[in-house]
Amino acid sequence: MKETIILGIETSCDETSAAIVKNGRYLLSNVIASQTEIHQKYGGVVPEIASRKHMEFIMIICQEALDKARLTLHDIDGIAVVPGPGLKGSLLVGLSFAKAVAFALEKPLIGVNHIEGHVYANFLDKELPETPFLSLVVSGGHTSLLLIREIGKLEVIGQTRDDAAGEIFDKIAKYLGFNYPGGPIIEELAKKGRNDAIYFPRPLLNSDDFDFSFSGLKTAVIYFMMEEKAKDNPVNVSNVCASFQKAIIDILVYKTFKATRMFKVKTVVIGGGVAANESLRKEFLKEAQKKKITIYYPPKKLCTDNAAMIACAGFYKLERGIIDSYNLEVFTK
Amino acid sequence: MLVLGIDTATKVLNLAIVNNSEVIIDYKVNRMEKTHSTLILSALNNMLNLSGIKLKEIEGIAVSIGPGSFTGLRIGLSTAKGLAFALSIPLIGVSSLESSAFSWLSLPGILCPIIKARRGEYYFALYEYKNKDSSIVKDYQCAKWVEIKQELLEYRDHIYIFGDGIEDIIKDEKIENYGHIANIYFINNSLNTANAVSVALLGEERIPKKECDDIYKLLPLYISKSAAEVLIEKDPVLIIKK
Ligand SMILES: [Zn+2]
Repeated sequence: MKETIILGIETSCDETSAAIVKNGRYLLSNVIASQTEIHQKYGGVVPEIASRKHMEFIMIICQEALDKARLTLHDIDGIAVVPGPGLKGSLLVGLSFAKAVAFALEKPLIGVNHIEGHVYANFLDKELPETPFLSLVVSGGHTSLLLIREIGKLEVIGQTRDDAAGEIFDKIAKYLGFNYPGGPIIEELAKKGRNDAIYFPRPLLNSDDFDFSFSGLKTAVIYFMMEEKAKDNPVNVSNVCASFQKAIIDILVYKTFKATRMFKVKTVVIGGGVAANESLRKEFLKEAQKKKITIYYPPKKLCTDNAAMIACAGFYKLERGIIDSYNLEVFTK
Repeated sequence: MLVLGIDTATKVLNLAIVNNSEVIIDYKVNRMEKTHSTLILSALNNMLNLSGIKLKEIEGIAVSIGPGSFTGLRIGLSTAKGLAFALSIPLIGVSSLESSAFSWLSLPGILCPIIKARRGEYYFALYEYKNKDSSIVKDYQCAKWVEIKQELLEYRDHIYIFGDGIEDIIKDEKIENYGHIANIYFINNSLNTANAVSVALLGEERIPKKECDDIYKLLPLYISKSAAEVLIEKDPVLIIKK
């Protein structure tokens, strides 16, 4: 069998990453320079700083990915890169660099939608499932329900109308006085609490579409905390975290399995930073067993932004002849 | 030596190829429908076709590193890095103030390139050329026009001022093109704000002198290093949650 080596490049937010993947299945290297610490002191990602850091890291990271895979640029058969969605200045660094490398090497350029990339984080060590399948991508930047009828293409059937699920975790964590990113801290505390202690609303649960809305839930949690404080009631923060987390997961589970019925799919693929959450994994598995649906989760280290998933998606697109011109442009949304 | 020059510091997309101090082609696109990022490789491809030069024959790349539009500079530098990385050839970063001055070096006097910055300020520097050798009279900095003007008026020599910052100044001062205030002479020529030829020529001079930049470490000249921090203080909305 002919070997196809893809170099993946991802710079959509605050992680500069490059990876080398063989035949879509074998991860030869995956190098990530994270800026989380730099942005931590501002309580979020600062676009201008992120762009500058990508410029500093981009070539070092690509060279390191090649070195770790014991390959040179001449072994590469295609370059997969994210044109969006993401921060414009950050995307431009990775995309301009990738386009120039592809152009100079006369190799195919493959644009991979960042959200689509998260789906493929599942398939670095296994075969692709049969189409059609559904995918739920949940992170600090996105909450999207995707229908994949054909590999290389995707339809967004639902997304958040306000904040992303991971963003709500971070905002509640910040309100409770924890550092950014606070999602993992909430998950830890929730383990010690009772998830039925407080009832928080599940917005849009019964809407006709597959859209999500979480800002009402955020308001409800904050309102609850304020009321308890006004009454001088001692608050069990672990119970708040557990109940809040349960509300988010309930919404995600309900909408996803409503979509599996509607589109008659037998497989659900989860991806994105929030997919690392243990309770979320457990709840999805429980529901899937009941409904005889197969669930895929990415390995935890591939849940957050990385170039391995981009290279993997790039391989399957290239295999189907889906490539882009060197005029590929960035998009933010 | 065949050197490719890239200048995307302004709204003009400018690429050039020089060889042994001669210009082979100077390719400029003003008034673009699309962005530098979309068009830069098509422009490069067109220029190579027109000049009959193959990309693999290029022996070095020189790129404008600003000061200028942050987005434009990042597109130019990321592209230059990608090309140099893939072709394994040297990369040289050239200040856009220096390349701007270099294209007017025959003028008898002090040259003052001026580039629009943010918040009503301008980047500028002063150069003097004697027998093609340049000396920096004043290194680059960022200031308001009133301050720059006061400083320039103190010189006895003729000062020639040009660059994309000049358009607003001429309007505010109500000066005709090529007009002057005392010893300050204004040259308004919008296409001369992009200088890929000068960038390439300066790069070609530096490559044999082993003055190449570390391709991994080369960054744009942002001038005010804390600009991002200043932006955050002024506009906290710029912080995006991930
Ligand atoms: Zn992501």
